Amino acid sequence: MGSPLRIVNGRVYDPANGVDGAVRDVCIRDGEIVVDVPPDAKRIDATGMVVMPGGIDIHCHIAGPKVNLARKVQPENHYGDVQLRTRLTRSGTGGTVPSTFATGYRYAALGYTTAMEAAVTPLGARHALEELHDTPVIDKGFYVLVGNSVLLYRLLHEGRREEFRHALAWWLNATKAYAPKLVNPGADELWKGYRNANVTSLDDKIGALDLTPRRVIAAFIEAANELGLPHPVHIHCNNLGHSGNFETTLETMRLAEGRRAHIAHIQFHSYGAAAAKSQSNPTSRARDIVEFINAHPNISADVGAVMFGRSTIMTADAPLAYMLRRFGTGKWVNADTENESGCGIVPFIYQDRVYTNALQWAIGLELLLCSADPWRVVFSTDHPNGGSFMSYPRLIRLLMDREFRKEQMARVNQKALNQSGLRDCQEREYTLSEIAIITRAGPARLLGLAAKGHLGVGADADVTIYEEDANKEKMFSAPRYVIKDGELAIEDHEFRVSREGRTLQVAPEYDRGIEQVLEPFFEDFYTVRFANYPVDERYAPHAQIIPTAPQAATSPAGSAPR
Amino acid sequence: MGENLKTVTDVTCTFCGCLCDDIALTVDLEQKRITKAENACVLGRAWFKEHGVEQRPFALIGGREATTEEGVEEAAQILARARFPLIYGLSDTTCEAQRVAVALADMIGGVVDSTSSVCHGPSVIAFQRTGKSTASLGEIKNRADMVVFWGGNPAEAHPRLFTRYAVTPKGMEVPRGRKDRTVVIVDVRRTPSTPAADIFIQVKPASDFEVLWALRALLKGRKVDPAIEQKTGVSLTVLEDLVARMKSCRYGAFLFGMGLTMNRGRHFNAGALLALATDLNEFTHWVALPVRGHGNVTGADNVIAWQTGYPFGVNFSRGYPRFNPGEFSAVDLLARGEADAALIVSSDPAANFPKAAIEQFGRIPVITLDPKVTPTTQLARVAFTTATYGVNVSGTAYRIDDVAITLRPAFESPYPSDEQVLTAILDRVRALLGGNRLPPGAPAVAPAPAP
Amino acid sequence: MSLDLTLRAAPTVPLEAEVLSPARLAGLSAAEAAKLPVVHGNERADVGDFFRIGGAADGQLDITGDLSMVKRIGAGMAEGRMVVHGSVGMHLGAGMSGGEIVVEGHAGDWVGAEMSGGRIVVKGNAGHMLGSARRGTPVGMRGGEILVFGNVGNEAGNGMRRGLIAIGGDTGDFAAVNMLAGSIVVLGHLGSRPGAGMKRGSLIAMHPAELLPTFSYACTYAPVFVRLYLRHLRRLGFDIADSQVNGSYQRWCGDGIELNRGEVLLFDAAGTASRG
Repeated sequence: MGSPLRIVNGRVYDPANGVDGAVRDVCIRDGEIVVDVPPDAKRIDATGMVVMPGGIDIHCHIAGPKVNLARKVQPENHYGDVQLRTRLTRSGTGGTVPSTFATGYRYAALGYTTAMEAAVTPLGARHALEELHDTPVIDKGFYVLVGNSVLLYRLLHEGRREEFRHALAWWLNATKAYAPKLVNPGADELWKGYRNANVTSLDDKIGALDLTPRRVIAAFIEAANELGLPHPVHIHCNNLGHSGNFETTLETMRLAEGRRAHIAHIQFHSYGAAAAKSQSNPTSRARDIVEFINAHPNISADVGAVMFGRSTIMTADAPLAYMLRRFGTGKWVNADTENESGCGIVPFIYQDRVYTNALQWAIGLELLLCSADPWRVVFSTDHPNGGSFMSYPRLIRLLMDREFRKEQMARVNQKALNQSGLRDCQEREYTLSEIAIITRAGPARLLGLAAKGHLGVGADADVTIYEEDANKEKMFSAPRYVIKDGELAIEDHEFRVSREGRTLQVAPEYDRGIEQVLEPFFEDFYTVRFANYPVDERYAPHAQIIPTAPQAATSPAGSAPR
Repeated sequence: MGENLKTVTDVTCTFCGCLCDDIALTVDLEQKRITKAENACVLGRAWFKEHGVEQRPFALIGGREATTEEGVEEAAQILARARFPLIYGLSDTTCEAQRVAVALADMIGGVVDSTSSVCHGPSVIAFQRTGKSTASLGEIKNRADMVVFWGGNPAEAHPRLFTRYAVTPKGMEVPRGRKDRTVVIVDVRRTPSTPAADIFIQVKPASDFEVLWALRALLKGRKVDPAIEQKTGVSLTVLEDLVARMKSCRYGAFLFGMGLTMNRGRHFNAGALLALATDLNEFTHWVALPVRGHGNVTGADNVIAWQTGYPFGVNFSRGYPRFNPGEFSAVDLLARGEADAALIVSSDPAANFPKAAIEQFGRIPVITLDPKVTPTTQLARVAFTTATYGVNVSGTAYRIDDVAITLRPAFESPYPSDEQVLTAILDRVRALLGGNRLPPGAPAVAPAPAP
Repeated sequence: MSLDLTLRAAPTVPLEAEVLSPARLAGLSAAEAAKLPVVHGNERADVGDFFRIGGAADGQLDITGDLSMVKRIGAGMAEGRMVVHGSVGMHLGAGMSGGEIVVEGHAGDWVGAEMSGGRIVVKGNAGHMLGSARRGTPVGMRGGEILVFGNVGNEAGNGMRRGLIAIGGDTGDFAAVNMLAGSIVVLGHLGSRPGAGMKRGSLIAMHPAELLPTFSYACTYAPVFVRLYLRHLRRLGFDIADSQVNGSYQRWCGDGIELNRGEVLLFDAAGTASRG
């Protein structure tokens, strides 16, 4: 856990504890923030530097079956971006889908200490955990794809709500996941079983079942809240990427009816129908979305901002990837997982002159700049879908630096810019404290990670120290020090230790009797035996189970930590 | 059942890439051997029964008996000194061992390659050009109403591909099993698999590419010259009928073998099939899977890919991973006389590589990890005896459809696992080199600015 | 007078020497040149560890010896002239953008892969992937010329987008595969499946060839551009008959699976004779 440490003279940004740039010391011992350390403790002189909790990525794609397919399918994405080995650290390759070691090192080198893989099939959980084991430095966890589960659908179809909840809890335990994830609920059956069809509305019938996406989503929101999960159900809404989809998004959020729900990469779900009948270009409805969230404290979202340049679309939303394949760079991957999920991958390039891409870029910024509560509309690019996590420093500068933003706005497709509301909120500049909220304190709170995202006594000693710079992109690109669990992982921009982070998971209780309900289905329709399906503890060697508990439906903006 | 017998259920058979995980083993603990393997196919039964524990030295150094520790010291000295070491094999061991093998290759600045480069590597190269549509085997079991086997003989090589996954099993959308599926086999000759087909299409040798290309053309509404029959042995009528069937099924699946990937045209043959499956998705749902041989060759692809970005044939000599099949694939670099040391894990290249490649083994120090005596272990400078994965050792293996499964060992072996030996070598090399070997200079390609 | 490098110690494992390029050695003394870095397997080494250096740099570089274990010679080079008196290993002139390389012997695989300009001449044979794309990339050679007097391996011009490849001997399989544009002239025989997946571009060959079912015959004619190319190549030393320069060619369009805007032009000896 490293020796005791005192960070002196830094400007501390710890919004969860109401600290907004005050110069004060931060003391660390045994991996935790403490009140004081002995005078002979190692000191880090942070004069002229900014001290923040370590960054937390609430939604990214960094490990598991689909990520590895995306790595394998584009060697050209790695050729020019390499990670040299050192005495201490492993080599790797980068691009939009870096190798596991490069992923861990690069997140840490940006000051991030936690990242959540946002979409893993239950059957792929073992694979995802193996990759996360090889993702060094950072803490990590994953959301498990349960929103198209044939077995869970059957229970809902038959009205067995109690058993549905037990089954969901069983699945979270069996896969060692952190939260349930829904992706385009209902679509898989249409995609696989109905000649590559897709869901178009919340009230579409799901195949032969007496079930609709609306009923599925409501049931998951309810069950996740009943289970008291630290993070509620994480929803990738239906109709992602389609013109006019903002109405589906609003309807989905209304289904929560005051209960907690998290909407993923909401930028991709904020599109209006074509402005005029003569054209097919979508418009921005970011304002409608953000006003709804502002008014509904039970709802949270990560933005899923788009950054120009290379990306890789990788999603459990197979019909979406199929639609996008015509606009990609020539490769398309589809991968069906039995009874559980679809998957699509398309290497992609966002171009500032292309109407749709420029509109997506503008909407991402518009959502963040119009948001009234930074605790609930938090930072993400849906890495690598909207852009690589390596573009986070640039996105931070776009938020903090009005003049820079205006320069960039002048370069993009102006027709698209005019259709967005970005000009209406273009005067706002994020403060360092607000950045600390959307990249640290906010995600920690939404994830229910009480010991993360802040620097109060007892918090995990995950700390990032940046050298202040007027150019915020430069400042956030390369912290001088990164402390993970009290250990100086990066000192003077160099790795000092080779370490493994923790695997974050939940273990909600359930009635063991549910296994008798599940097993026959496995016998008939799975090709992995029921006994061989659950993942054992060897796959999560540094596991930390975050407890379940009744969760308040809302957390008022700027309130003190729990 | 006697005291010395025990039953282990839900065991995974690692003989082939199907990784059937429903085997019930009866183990004679006294004799340290398996007497019965219920549910296993004929190949699996033989695999389990032949893996008893034999009395063999823990290690041989230059033919002399030695301890594992002495072997580790000798192996570490060889690898720490080597300028262009090759680590090869890896397809019959656990992912846990594979991870250490890649770490070792990285540490010493060597090359790591798996048997992929001599089996379905071309399928991977094809995938890297166009992508693919694929599925886990359960989707085929549950949904596929049309299955096309191309260039393989599952009845003899992967028997339970027919009975457990793709032909006879009853599934959710194919409740009558075999009756609900149309089965097509395309091959250059009749085999014991042929009777399983509703439609058998015999193509002339080395004309798979032309047949696939013609199918793609027909699917796109292009005209194809009836002269295709002279070239391929398949009439235009047969091809047109096949296209019509493929377009009208609900869920179609290709399962293709080395008949496609290891014949003239290699990755282009596989690429043509993957492209055909992709094209078919304009009409209905289609997927394609390579049918792979070794139990965990798919795991090797996955582990090497997540650690390096590339699936096989990876060179670390300049301090970062480089990928170039043909250059960094084991057969090729051995045949050119490039490797100056080799570590072979659970594989027998001396039995199946071309002569030029095998000859290089005679000129360089070779280290082997294997439960059995093989032509490769017999030419090794250091030969470790290790426990058999899936029989004596737990760990992870990946099925041909990328599904990871945890292995249940049947009984203990006195020998260490591949993972344990590799870890010991890694630790010793680390001590000898003082950490990872530092890169020999700047990258050949300047790192690109962050995206 | 040129700078002369002579191999004095053969590398025991592959030597990667992109530093062997005229511009990198320009203006250096023999002692300075000897200190330049190469990579021998997993070790850094000096040029001088392997080469005896004489003469003085004047923009031309002469290298003598059997360099079959030396990779990446002239990779990325942009200017100057280099003559290799012997055979070379893989990646000769890969990614080069200008200048000229002449190899008196044979060359390995990936000659001029993804090059964008300049000229590579190989007097002997060359390996697979001549002027091609690397795995996973869609675009190979983007410009310049590759002239091989002997035979070449498989996938010559894979993904080629611009420029000229001329081959005096035979090709392996899949010549011009996935070609996007540009021209390939083959004086010997084509292997199987030429032009598979080509979108645009011209593959010109002097002998009958079996084409894929997705290529369709268009016409027989005497294209002017072929005449110009062949005269150019004859001046460069290729053995080309008058009948070929002035002759008729069967034009086959393809690949029908792709855009169908590529062409394979096959010399039609009979048509040429009847035309008189």
